[in-house]
Amino acid sequence: MWERTLQDLIRGLRANKKDESKFIAKAVDEIRKEIKSEDMELKAGAVLKLTYLDMMGYDMTWASFHVVEVMSSAKFHLKSVGYLAAVQSFDQETDVLMLTTNLLKKDLTSTPAEIAITLNGLSHIVTPDLARDISPELITMLTHSRAQIRKRAILALYKVMVQYPEALQQGVTRLKEKLDDPDPGVVASTVNVLCELARRKPEEYLTLAPQLFHLLTTSTNNWMLIKIIKLFGSLSPYEPRLVRKLQPPITELISTTPAISLLYECVHTCIIGGMLQGPSGDSLARMCVSKLAAFIQDADQNLKYIALLALVKIVPSHPHLVAEYQDTILASVNDQDISIRMRALDLVSAMVTPNSLQSIVQQVLSHLVPDTSSSTLPTATQSLAQHTVPTSPTTAKPHISPAQSPAYRLVLSQRILNICSQSMYENVTNFEWYLSVLVDLAHVANVDIGLQIRDQLVDVVGRVKGVRRYAVKLMYTLLCDDTMLHNARDEGSCSEVLWAAAWICGEYCSELSEPHKLLPYLLQPEVANLLPEIIAVYIQATSKIFGHWAAEVAQRWDDDDLPEVKSMVDVIVGGVHEFVSNTHIEVQERAANTLQLFTFIQADLNAYRPKPIDNPFAEASSSFDPIASGEPRFPKSLYLLQPLHEAYELNPVALAAQASVPIPDGLDLDAWIVAPPQEPVLEVDAEAKARKVKKGKGKEVNGTKSKSGKKKHKEEVNGGNGVLLTPLEDDTETPEERMQRLAERRERLREDPYYIIDDRPSTSRVDDLDSIPVVRLEGMPSPAPEVDDSHMLPSLRSDYTPSSFAIDRDGEMPEGAVVPSRTITPVPRESRASTPMMTSFPQYEVADEGRTSTPEPIKVTRPKKKTPGKKKRTQNSSTLPDASNP
Amino acid sequence: MIHAVLIFNTSGVARLTKFYTPLHQSSQTLIPKIFSLICSRPASLCNFLDAPELEAFLGPKGEEDERWRVVYRSYATLYFVFVVDGAESELGILDLIQVFVESLDRAFENVCELDLVFQFDEVHHILAEIIQGGLVLETNVEEIDNSVQVSAKLRKESFASANPLSLGIGGVGGAGSRGGNLKSPLGWLTGKITGGRAM
Repeated sequence: MWERTLQDLIRGLRANKKDESKFIAKAVDEIRKEIKSEDMELKAGAVLKLTYLDMMGYDMTWASFHVVEVMSSAKFHLKSVGYLAAVQSFDQETDVLMLTTNLLKKDLTSTPAEIAITLNGLSHIVTPDLARDISPELITMLTHSRAQIRKRAILALYKVMVQYPEALQQGVTRLKEKLDDPDPGVVASTVNVLCELARRKPEEYLTLAPQLFHLLTTSTNNWMLIKIIKLFGSLSPYEPRLVRKLQPPITELISTTPAISLLYECVHTCIIGGMLQGPSGDSLARMCVSKLAAFIQDADQNLKYIALLALVKIVPSHPHLVAEYQDTILASVNDQDISIRMRALDLVSAMVTPNSLQSIVQQVLSHLVPDTSSSTLPTATQSLAQHTVPTSPTTAKPHISPAQSPAYRLVLSQRILNICSQSMYENVTNFEWYLSVLVDLAHVANVDIGLQIRDQLVDVVGRVKGVRRYAVKLMYTLLCDDTMLHNARDEGSCSEVLWAAAWICGEYCSELSEPHKLLPYLLQPEVANLLPEIIAVYIQATSKIFGHWAAEVAQRWDDDDLPEVKSMVDVIVGGVHEFVSNTHIEVQERAANTLQLFTFIQADLNAYRPKPIDNPFAEASSSFDPIASGEPRFPKSLYLLQPLHEAYELNPVALAAQASVPIPDGLDLDAWIVAPPQEPVLEVDAEAKARKVKKGKGKEVNGTKSKSGKKKHKEEVNGGNGVLLTPLEDDTETPEERMQRLAERRERLREDPYYIIDDRPSTSRVDDLDSIPVVRLEGMPSPAPEVDDSHMLPSLRSDYTPSSFAIDRDGEMPEGAVVPSRTITPVPRESRASTPMMTSFPQYEVADEGRTSTPEPIKVTRPKKKTPGKKKRTQNSSTLPDASNP
Repeated sequence: MIHAVLIFNTSGVARLTKFYTPLHQSSQTLIPKIFSLICSRPASLCNFLDAPELEAFLGPKGEEDERWRVVYRSYATLYFVFVVDGAESELGILDLIQVFVESLDRAFENVCELDLVFQFDEVHHILAEIIQGGLVLETNVEEIDNSVQVSAKLRKESFASANPLSLGIGGVGGAGSRGGNLKSPLGWLTGKITGGRAM
């Protein structure tokens, strides 16, 4: 009699707030005793207390058997406790569930009240096994005399059908009948279940359309109408006739219903149900968008939110309609409510076009800018002021904290990167602008997005040759600016951008007029603050830049240059020396390598003695021509580094490049490198051997591997004792034989777990190298002419070159790449001049009269391969049209 | 479908948790997360909670899957939170929360937080009359109230028949005086009984 009730437990919890865990531990001990009691009341009390504790996060799975005991009590009030505990604590893995089958069956034949709690409980705890066993009883329940029970049975049937799809067919048939049930509540529940089912497999519920349509036009229950409308939203994409049928009543509902929720669902269904196509759809679309636009401007924030949700879905089909409200939508990105901001961001990203990109990105970027520093914000925001849509001056910058939460800032930053880079920079028309946005983002983001920015920078500069000159200048200023260097170790400093800066300046240092001036910045002591990976790139860039500069100096050598070169080498040796003992292995190795190279250069420079112009010895060896003597006038070591870095250009690599590398003649990738040990063959019976070989390559042990393998196998199958085949046979093989052999081999390998079979059609056709068209990509022939734009710093970005940029969208393919024939078809030599460019940039489809300063796109030529072996590199390039742009 | 119904107070203490779909992350981390996001939102903002921090919990798990939505309303010291998917109408769920609260109000007569604390099983029973297995069962407050009363009455009768002596300790339950709201003649009596259900 003195056991604690649930109320006592709760009161105790409230009284022991300070020492809750101790109190609970004690309570659970008591519960463990009580729950084993013979007294069902006591047991149920213990279970109820446990259920309460479960809500607070304390485990009660250990008591699941006792829960079943309480469920099986004959007393209704105890049974309710049992079912409640089961609903709250059981899951699919609860093993005692298998004990409940008969209990549930029995309870389903009991009083209506018990049936109700049983059906409710079943909806939660049903497993595939339970569903299978209980579905017959449940289906008979659908015709129960009480509407209350029929409703519950219908909802429970949904859960059963989800767990046990075999019940679907019968269940759905019965559900259809329930659409005509006299009780409106039962019909509503049926619609509810059908709505869920149709979301999973819409095409199977199209036959219900007439009945549902009847309900749509006759019912006045808004709850049900909403569900019917939603249901039609799932169905109509699968049945075009339904769209025509639905348009009138839905249009009617939209114009007449006073219920905003129903109105909204109608609009939403029109959008997702594909009802806005065609001539009649257009006016409906206009109506929908105007309704939604009214919602956005409504004072009710909820309407604003859902309107944004729906507009996102209409943008792909009717961008022009939504664009009319662009200003309102952009203002929503500025809303004080973060929920609305998130949806507005989604919408804005969907609305981006090449024309609107800059203003939208500018708007999003401005949210990242702290209010106080808006005046000192260096770059894009100011310079873009001229193209931006005027932001409404009344919108005060929100001061609430969520807008500045790191997670939100991260979302904003990622969004900027995504909308700019989507579909391979589809919407970016000005890459100089984009680079400056990236740099600005790195400055203002204040969240951990440096890596993504870094990758974007490198990717853009790699793909868009026209922007490299600008990029190098921008990166130069970034490297000279030491604020980022100082804050490198702070969270959200985006110091990874310096990785990109150093890499770009190193790789494209030829675009710099005085590259050596950057070297001291790359070697300043603060660099040690950076992450090791960045330091490694700094060291590498140092070597690249010096290599380029030194070669330049050597070309126009003047003995007066010597002190400058010497001091530069000293600076480098001194700077790099700091990192030789770095604990990071990559930094250490690069530093050590670089140090050795520069020590060598240093020694060479120190040994260098200027050769006077009128060299007295020159007469002796070879008069008048000092070069011919083989002794250049500059220190030779100045040319040491350049070839290391500049021998080949780095290009973006196409996704399919690796797979398209042709296999050189004479290389058989399937040949054993080391043959597996010979298995003892007891009987040298020809037939047996043939069978054995057929089983798989692994068994093949003969010395004549490689190409003859299949051939041999074939011989063996055909002729019996064909052990003496030699590789010479290959040469006489006809293409048909070869194809057949390859097909057989593929068939065998398919079974072999150690081979990954590539089933793409391309591979089946690429084996005959000689008959394949070759795609060749060429680099840019002419670099952009020098423009004196040294003044072009980010703050002066209004000087953007108005020209457009060529993007290397596809990337480089290996020489002699084998491209699947479905994408590239052989083009006769004569028509090559009209070969379309691989890039889909429209500007380049028209051949212009003269070459301009902008770079040319990658050219694709498809010469018909005539001779095997060496590829002809340059032969065809001159016959291509001069693709350039105004 | 409705995936979860949560009630917690303005201090973040859970008063009711009901998950209709097993969570891929523990409910014990979801509730504090939702609470921390909701409690910082002024009342003037919309009733849909959408935040980057929630993506891990509610973001789409498959290609076609829509992200779940958190719809909430606050009443006095309590937040009522529904987690739903795209099959539910957002505005409809707002109405449904209202239906739920009205039903509680009818059952408890001017419901307050303490009612939910001390009669959390009753709250579950009421919710079970509105939502079953994540699908809406009934939206009419009258109907719900009737069903709640009928089943409450049955539980009380069952309890009374099993505990003939329980009248003596009827007043023990803290919320006993508020528990009975039956229109039946026995209402006042059975109300006292349930309040002090001695288990």
